[in-house]
Amino acid sequence: MSRSTSNSRWKLASRVLAALVGGYAVAYAVTAFLAVYLPLARPDRVVLSSLASFAVWTAVVIYVFAARSTTRTWLLLTGTTVALCLAAFLSGEWRARP
Amino acid sequence: MKLRQSMAGLHTWGGLLPIWLLFVIIFAGTVACFDKELNRWMRPALHEPVVSRQGADDVRGWLQRNVTDELHAFWMHGPTAREPYWRLGWEVDGTETIHNVAFDPRGAQPEPMPETLGGDFFFKLHYNLHAGDVGMYAVGLVGMFMLVALISGLIIHRRIFKDFFTLRPNASGQRAWLDAHNLFGVLGFPFHLILAYTGVAIFVASYMPAAAQVSYSGDPMAYFGEVMGSYHRAEMHQPAAEPYSLDALIAESRRQWGGAQAGWISVHHPGDASAVVDIRQWDRSRIGTPQNTLTYDAATGELLNRQNASTGYRAYLWLAGLHMAQFGGSLVRLLYMLLGLCGCAMLVGGVQVWLAKREGRGAQGLGWIRVLNASVFAGLPLASLALLWSNRLIPTGLSERAVWETGVFVSAWLLVVLWSVLSRSNMRRLLRNQLALGALLALGLPVLNGLTTEAGHLAASLARADWTLASVDLFMLAAGVVCTACAWRLSSERAPAFSGASRVREA
Repeated sequence: MSRSTSNSRWKLASRVLAALVGGYAVAYAVTAFLAVYLPLARPDRVVLSSLASFAVWTAVVIYVFAARSTTRTWLLLTGTTVALCLAAFLSGEWRARP
Repeated sequence: MKLRQSMAGLHTWGGLLPIWLLFVIIFAGTVACFDKELNRWMRPALHEPVVSRQGADDVRGWLQRNVTDELHAFWMHGPTAREPYWRLGWEVDGTETIHNVAFDPRGAQPEPMPETLGGDFFFKLHYNLHAGDVGMYAVGLVGMFMLVALISGLIIHRRIFKDFFTLRPNASGQRAWLDAHNLFGVLGFPFHLILAYTGVAIFVASYMPAAAQVSYSGDPMAYFGEVMGSYHRAEMHQPAAEPYSLDALIAESRRQWGGAQAGWISVHHPGDASAVVDIRQWDRSRIGTPQNTLTYDAATGELLNRQNASTGYRAYLWLAGLHMAQFGGSLVRLLYMLLGLCGCAMLVGGVQVWLAKREGRGAQGLGWIRVLNASVFAGLPLASLALLWSNRLIPTGLSERAVWETGVFVSAWLLVVLWSVLSRSNMRRLLRNQLALGALLALGLPVLNGLTTEAGHLAASLARADWTLASVDLFMLAAGVVCTACAWRLSSERAPAFSGASRVREA
């Protein structure tokens, strides 16, 4: 009984952390990615992707609490963040095109 | 766990955690809908409508005579219908401190009015809790909690249409509070969703720097310069020449805009040869503020730049404008205020549902939540009323009046907190007494106003059909009557609202 309680507490703490930190990380990565790859002029890419970040964070929070498996959630959040950040920051000169 | 179940947990706990801070933010924002009207109410020099005959050069003259420090920048705004006086702000080089002065419009030359916090106090409380950058980030995080609570609340709501028409005030405590929470939540939902989103969007450059970091390599000057299409000239470290007339530059700008009005006028590093003057256009008929800023050389008056804002920046300003409610006149602001009050009611109803549910299960330790409720939900409005009282009672000759007003606001709030802690054994009586005190303070304000001002009291303002000034007193009367009625009802009702009997009856 106590073991399962403490287990579910850890799971809850893990979800809260995933929603707060993981959610921000994914929002950050999506923003950086869109700021590079949207087919718009640079100031418009930057503003549009930044404004969308709050919707992304909200959606991730909802997903984190709706998802069944915490492990898979963490894997998905980490994978998305790393992949999108790499794609954005390793795009060379292209990311600063006007 | 089913989706609705997990969302219910998220809504309950994610909603409860920030609820008191969220109340402070929403309440302050609601009051700030009429911040400029409060400014006028709190400055007796503005009570009688006069047209200021001072000009921008007069204001700059005052600055040159009274401030000898090297300035990073100064900025000023001329009289408007809601703010019929010149405002001036400046930042001393090397400091981050901003100084503000408002000038009495009655004289031929600018003279500062007695200091007051004014309605701006509530505006600042709304966006950074008077806690600088830390407060701004805290408000942003609470805004995200609000977004999540709104979306999860929508998901758990099965019968959104039917519940909207359901209010059972005489049902058991939990049911009635849930109805109230639903009613105000659903009624205000689109408004709250838009205001929460546009609210966090205003400080997007601070909250989410990812795009600027990737596309401008984190260079803020390049970023803001390109996005806003604004002009910047680096310092030359040579003394400035004799400055060009600001009034002449304003007249020239108005000619360039085809007669449109000028808003903020700002001068950057005025002591340096690189000094430039920005003149912004002012137009309250649009949601997004116009971006036609003209930049001149401060010494020669030569036009250096016409602002060329990006589409993205205009979209951002449209969202920010939607939040700030400076368009469309008093009717829009009144609507915003009513929906803001709906938001406050939704929060109070929500935490009451949480309490009633746990009380039914016989949970312990709920007393402190009730103390917190009384301290915040009653404490902030009572402290705000005390602030308005102090504005009239602190002598006008006193230096640093604004600091005294802050002191009154803070001590009044602390007293309410202490009062709530000490009276926690009988919350019902506490609520009744708090309502009675609120009624006394609110109904007393128009009386105090009548005793302490010559042209600002209700009889004078109504006689000259000065509705903006009268509206503050009239609102106080209405709020006082509502508080009286609630206090009356609480003391005349025999059965406590959350008695065990009513719950058993429903079961």
